[in-house]
Amino acid sequence: MSILSYIAISEGKIKRSSLEVVSHARKLAENNGLETHAVIIGENAGEFVDEIKKFGVGKIYTVKSPLLKDHINRTLIEAVVKVIELDKPKVVAFASTEAVKDVLGAVAARTDAGVISDVSSFDLQDNTVRAIRPIMATKFLAETESSADLVLVSVRSGSYDVKESPGDAEVIPVEFDLDEDSLKQKIREIISTSGDKIDLSEANIVVAAGRGVKDHEGKKLVEELSEVLGAAIGASRSVVETGMFSPTTQIGQTGKVVSPQLYIAVGISGAIQHVSGMINSKTIVAINKDPEAPIFDIATYGLVGDLYKILPLFIEQLKELKSK
Amino acid sequence: MNFFACIKQVPDLAGPMRIKDGELVQDTDRMMLNAYDASAVEEALGLIEKYGGELEVVLAGPEKAKETARKALAMGAEKGNLISLPPDLKLDSAGYAEILSAFYKDKEYDVILCGKQSQDTDAGLTGSMLAEKLQIPYASNAVGMDVDEAQKKMIVTRQGDTGQEIIELSTPCLVTCSNDMNEPRIPSLKGIMQSKRKPFDTYDLEKLGLNSEELTASKVKTKITGYRDVPGREPGKKLEGEPEELVQQLINLLENEAKVL
Amino acid sequence: MEEDKFDCIVVGGGVAGLSAAMTLAKANMKFLLIERGEFSGSKNVSGGVLWGDDLAKLVPEYWKDEEGYERFINHRRLSFMDEESSFSIDFKSEHFNATPYRGIIVLRAKFDNWFANKVQEAIDKSDYPDESFIANSILVDEIIMEDGKAVGIKAGGEEFYSNTVILAEGVNNLLTRKVGLQNKYVPVDYMATGIKEIIRFDQKKLEDRFQLDGLSGMSNEFVGYATRGIEGGGFLYTNRDSISLGLVLGMKDMRRKGKKPQDVLNEFKEHPVIRDIIKGGEMVEYSAHVVSTGDIRAMPKEIYTDGLLIAGEAANLLMNSGKAIQGMDYAMRSGILAAETATQAKGKGDFSSDTLKAYRSALEGSFVLKDMHKFQSAVQFLHSDDMFETVPKIVCDFGKDFFTIENKPTQKSATLLRKAVKKHSSYWRMLKLALKGGRSL
Ligand SMILES: Cc1cc2nc3c(=O)[nH]c(=O)nc-3n(C[C@H](O)[C@H](O)[C@H](O)COP(=O)(O)OP(=O)(O)OC[C@H]3O[C@@H](n4cnc5c(N)ncnc54)[C@H](O)[C@@H]3O)c2cc1C
Ligand SMILES: Cc1cc2nc3c(=O)[nH]c(=O)nc-3n(C[C@H](O)[C@H](O)[C@H](O)COP(=O)(O)OP(=O)(O)OC[C@H]3O[C@@H](n4cnc5c(N)ncnc54)[C@H](O)[C@@H]3O)c2cc1C
Ligand SMILES: Nc1ncnc2c1ncn2[C@@H]1O[C@H](COP(=O)(O)O)[C@@H](O)[C@H]1O
Repeated sequence: MSILSYIAISEGKIKRSSLEVVSHARKLAENNGLETHAVIIGENAGEFVDEIKKFGVGKIYTVKSPLLKDHINRTLIEAVVKVIELDKPKVVAFASTEAVKDVLGAVAARTDAGVISDVSSFDLQDNTVRAIRPIMATKFLAETESSADLVLVSVRSGSYDVKESPGDAEVIPVEFDLDEDSLKQKIREIISTSGDKIDLSEANIVVAAGRGVKDHEGKKLVEELSEVLGAAIGASRSVVETGMFSPTTQIGQTGKVVSPQLYIAVGISGAIQHVSGMINSKTIVAINKDPEAPIFDIATYGLVGDLYKILPLFIEQLKELKSK
Repeated sequence: MNFFACIKQVPDLAGPMRIKDGELVQDTDRMMLNAYDASAVEEALGLIEKYGGELEVVLAGPEKAKETARKALAMGAEKGNLISLPPDLKLDSAGYAEILSAFYKDKEYDVILCGKQSQDTDAGLTGSMLAEKLQIPYASNAVGMDVDEAQKKMIVTRQGDTGQEIIELSTPCLVTCSNDMNEPRIPSLKGIMQSKRKPFDTYDLEKLGLNSEELTASKVKTKITGYRDVPGREPGKKLEGEPEELVQQLINLLENEAKVL
Repeated sequence: MEEDKFDCIVVGGGVAGLSAAMTLAKANMKFLLIERGEFSGSKNVSGGVLWGDDLAKLVPEYWKDEEGYERFINHRRLSFMDEESSFSIDFKSEHFNATPYRGIIVLRAKFDNWFANKVQEAIDKSDYPDESFIANSILVDEIIMEDGKAVGIKAGGEEFYSNTVILAEGVNNLLTRKVGLQNKYVPVDYMATGIKEIIRFDQKKLEDRFQLDGLSGMSNEFVGYATRGIEGGGFLYTNRDSISLGLVLGMKDMRRKGKKPQDVLNEFKEHPVIRDIIKGGEMVEYSAHVVSTGDIRAMPKEIYTDGLLIAGEAANLLMNSGKAIQGMDYAMRSGILAAETATQAKGKGDFSSDTLKAYRSALEGSFVLKDMHKFQSAVQFLHSDDMFETVPKIVCDFGKDFFTIENKPTQKSATLLRKAVKKHSSYWRMLKLALKGGRSL
């Protein structure tokens, strides 16, 4: 039996969070005398095999098909289910990406599995998966367990370190076909907002804008700051609502979970629904003109002041520092 | 189109809560309509205003949760359904999906709407589980929705990892809704008054051919064994003063203390 | 429209509004209660003691439902403080253990919500289960007046009509002012700021510290150094597993002395006596709210007009006698009486002042206005500098001497008292004060 890790591919790259998951899965497998397996699903699944081999896995399933070019939940479900039926794992571990969130419940229903979503840590002991999940916008943690024969777990990004381990995996290509008409759904259009920019959910530095960023000028300051820092841009719900920032950048309960080394909150008050998505950042800098703003309760460094005055100076100094 | 929305009653997260004797308790007994479900109801009402149709809501929960279903009626839904559950029955998303699928077995619907997740559990599973059980196509995390009347299709904009996907779903289908889609209306006084006169059906598990023992034994596959407080962060430094000084100090700290530059 | 017309519309779902609504439901009136908060109680920060037993009439045997209240009072303490001491009058008695209780400690956020649910149950049992409503999250913008007569309300662009309107909007009585029953600005002299913290303990620890048994509870009022010489007083109530600790501070005096309520409260918490009481507790909530001083001069010109009745703190009905704040019981009784008057008016088919003036006489005949009149001089007496500065100092000095036992000849207590009085005041002044106090209390 195995712990099977799902390797997510996004924009031609392996998601770092998948590597975090497979690193942890390997440890659990070793502790429980299980094998470590991985599955890569995508149009070019084969291209990523070599990288996954570095993670000490025994078997790598690859599901390759033109049908898998874009994310369509039905095709992904069928592909994952097929591999689960082949491998018969004890646990399937996923990184909690939007694509995974889209299918996790359906896969569990199809395979009659126990499922624990969006965990911040999990363990396997005596055939029971025990996980910690943040709940209620990370107001509390729930200790959740499942002793089902098959358990699916999805893991928040940043929960584990990426650790390589030598190994020589057997690669098992899996046949996959599907009648496109049976999908009963079709993609009309994909609006990609990220382009070649940095993937927010995996970024080392995030500059996040909130309602304090009122206008085009403020937005430009945020963009410039992220530029000099090589940071990804994030946003609170308020500025996504107004359309100033794309929903792809939203961080929080509704949006993404990030855990960068440095998180700079610019004009964000620190509502629990926002904090829920960034509380695990290593260093948090908050710039807010209201000294009572709740963001200061969690900030490593809080700057009380006007972002329109602080950011230009900050950018200038950073540029100077860089040129040295 | 004929809409159904699955709505859940959740505790008011703005109110104080704490862990007491291994359970999460609210200081005050304030229950609300799950925010994501409120967005689902709002979206359906908007589409109905545009294209016509009807909205029914269904809620599985204790008898007291009826007030939450009423709120959806006050917003404008036409009919309410309560699947009355024993108050001490502990279910996970799979349990609720099982109950809801039993409810929909003999219903006629074009579109079932769910919230993308429950505000209290943040699980995000019930919607896709239900779609799978009913064997209908679905889309999750919708941030926009429209109806293609001619083809009887739903056009859903969903938020994906790196951008948005606009998807066409044949009906019947299921969509789970993000609260980024709209701003749910606050029921007007008229709406509140009318809500009491609207048709309302109440079911129990037996009527749906289910029973709690079997649900707990074979459908519910996870359990919560305890709760913990979120560990607090180390108290940080709050800097006040002139912008120049602040920036100077910050750069210094980032470089030498946090070592992140 | 006529079929949608209500017998009564109640504005505000606080204690006064809910008490009115409960009375209306029981009298089979078709009514609408409107509360701007998402829940009844969500806008209510206060917690405190609901004195008297009116609640037992509205919700029979309420004490069996432990969800509604925190504890019942069987232990009372009044403490005089100087900067390092407190001298208390302490009374505890089994006599308070009998139901209906004479006072219960409530947290409004919880109590109001519970009470609203009870009102809903009463509506369900009335003749108008589907025609009477409690509506939340709705702000009443205006009372519709036609020819000087209240005929309904306006909220969010909608209009609703009724034979009578009961205004129970609380101390910030904007609508009462809008309809011209109260001057636009009520002088700050008549207003105070109430601030309160909830400090949580392990329940067992709390029960041990305050010697509580089961649901018994304690109330402690403080005068003197509690407020650092600012007109007002302090209070402490035991909840289930927390205490409410706070101050009521005269607004004018605070302004004059340039103090901020939160600072005074922090100083209060650092008083050696208080520090010991709250040790090991965790502050979980802070809130501040305006509260009337109970000065009768702050009452509206009249508390009724054609089609309209004003109840609770909207009419500035409150008594702050130093030994207790009575706002909720006043709100409750006035709400009940207003609803009874509205019901009688329906019986007569006459909603003019002529009928509604019965509300005023009922209130005059009840403890509410009787006490407000009777103790008016007491209220003013209590708000004198002597009462919260000189007297506590004398009492504490006396206490220090009286309770200190040294290896020296002991003086008689009368001598000690004389010494204390002389240090802080004069006999003459204290005599005058004692007479005044004796007369007014
Ligand atoms: C179910 C649900 C899910 C939600 N999910 C999310 C989510 O995923 N992500 C999210 O972000 N929110 C989410 N929210 C919304 C959340 O509750 C808050 O409303 C939101 O995060 C507030 O955004 P903000 O901090 O930008 O705005 P505000 O709360 O308005 O704060 C703006 C801040 O900017 C400061 N400011 C203003 N001008 C300046 C200036 N010139 N210089 C410096 N500072 C300035 C102000 O002092 C203030 O603190 C959710 C809410 C619900 C109910
Ligand atoms: C710190 C503090 C401690 C206190 N301690 C005690 C105590 O121990 N014992 C005691 O008896 N009293 C105490 N009081 C006083 C007591 O709280 C009040 O006297 C009492 O709440 C008055 O009740 P009410 O119903 O008149 O008003 P409120 O309780 O204020 O209720 C008014 C309601 O009307 C609603 N409302 C207002 N305007 C509108 C509108 N336009 N449309 C719709 N709704 C509206 C409000 O949201 C509110 O819920 C204390 C007060 C404070 C501030
Ligand atoms: N008890 C319930 N009654 C009705 N719908 C529910 C219930 N529980 C979950 N749902 C639906 O499923 C969504 C949330 O799923 P989950 O996050 O898995 O709990 C909600 O937004 C509802 O649409």
